[in-house]
Amino acid sequence: RGGGMKGGAKVIVEPHRHEGIFVARGKEDALVTLNSTPGVSVYGEKRISVDGPPGPDGNTTKVEYRVWNPFRSKIAAAVLGGVDNIWIKPGSKVLYIGAAAGTSVSHVSDIVGPSGMVYGVEFSHRPGRDLINVAKARTNVIPIIEDARHPLKYRMLVGMVDCVFADVAQPDQARIVALNSHYFLKNGGHAVIAIKASCIDSTAAPEAVFRREISKLQSENFKPLEQLTLEPYERDHAVVIAQYRPTKKKGKQ
Amino acid sequence: MADASNQFALFESAAGYALLEIVSVEEIAPGTASNQNAITDLALFSRSIKLKAFQPFASAEDALENANAISEHAMTDSLKNFLEMNLPKVGKKKKEGKAAAFSLGVIDSGLANAISEGIPGISVRSDEFVREVCRGARLHLTSLVKGLENGGIDQAQLGLGHSYSRGKVKFNPARSDNMII
Repeated sequence: RGGGMKGGAKVIVEPHRHEGIFVARGKEDALVTLNSTPGVSVYGEKRISVDGPPGPDGNTTKVEYRVWNPFRSKIAAAVLGGVDNIWIKPGSKVLYIGAAAGTSVSHVSDIVGPSGMVYGVEFSHRPGRDLINVAKARTNVIPIIEDARHPLKYRMLVGMVDCVFADVAQPDQARIVALNSHYFLKNGGHAVIAIKASCIDSTAAPEAVFRREISKLQSENFKPLEQLTLEPYERDHAVVIAQYRPTKKKGKQ
Repeated sequence: MADASNQFALFESAAGYALLEIVSVEEIAPGTASNQNAITDLALFSRSIKLKAFQPFASAEDALENANAISEHAMTDSLKNFLEMNLPKVGKKKKEGKAAAFSLGVIDSGLANAISEGIPGISVRSDEFVREVCRGARLHLTSLVKGLENGGIDQAQLGLGHSYSRGKVKFNPARSDNMII
């Protein structure tokens, strides 16, 4: 593995509009994140190595990035779909609900960097083992094998976070997010939720499902900011972004 | 609820147990706009909440044992000792009728029950108010407790997260997703 895009010299990596995310421009463009464990792929993804800025001794150093596949990660799909603000940037603390095997978590870990933190919650044990292994190599990932419906069970492991990301494909996802936010999400922090319409209600139209989920969030003191469909990467999926306990800025409320 | 001077709250962190004394109740009433500032602003928060005591876990094993108990709504001996040592003494003579002169806020109602059973005469509460106090404590813990700055609490969370999760994956009688090889 590795090497990936051949002819490394021709690939240029530029910063993306979102801080901490990059775009590799070669024969084909790809979304990438700065690999915090150079030389290692987490789940067999391609790595791209380019010349970094010259060090103090004048020699150029290699900088390695990992390709982030929008078909495998809903955050990547949202970024490519043109989301306004993903609320995950260097230094962020993120509660990641539905961490699964930690493939997306590893990219979030790259983005938030050494000063950030990712609390990855996964209930299922099989992917949970992989998540623990991902976390072993990345000290900014805290694995939590526990049921996100009972956030009090892991309250000792989690600090206050800037962002709650949820991708759990459960009918009561909005409730799970609210429950966790009441304990762990800062005032004015953000929730980013990937909603799979058919997991909430397979009989209703996706648009109606998204609307209902947003109103559930509103009743829990969230202010919806953005809704984005994940076409063409996922069908009948949306990412909804909302602010928790918004700090009043415009006079009223 | 009326007695402001005798309210305490328990906060469980990865580094240890903290007992908070609630000096002024009014400002933290949940749901109000002013409460948001009283929680987020460290200056305001530390005016109404004081750290009464903090007991760090002695070792990683100690922390894991307590984390496992906490997640099962159980009180460990070290938590019991910590509370008995740092809370005002429960009046033994008037066992019935009168409740204790102070109340202890616990975020988890299951643990609150376990504490009230384990320490007779103690009065516990678990409600939205306690939740707000704990939000503030979670936000400002590193400022309240000395020695947790510079990532000390992150290190504690990281170590505890790994040992807790490894334990979960290892011992699980109701494992449903066993791989079939």
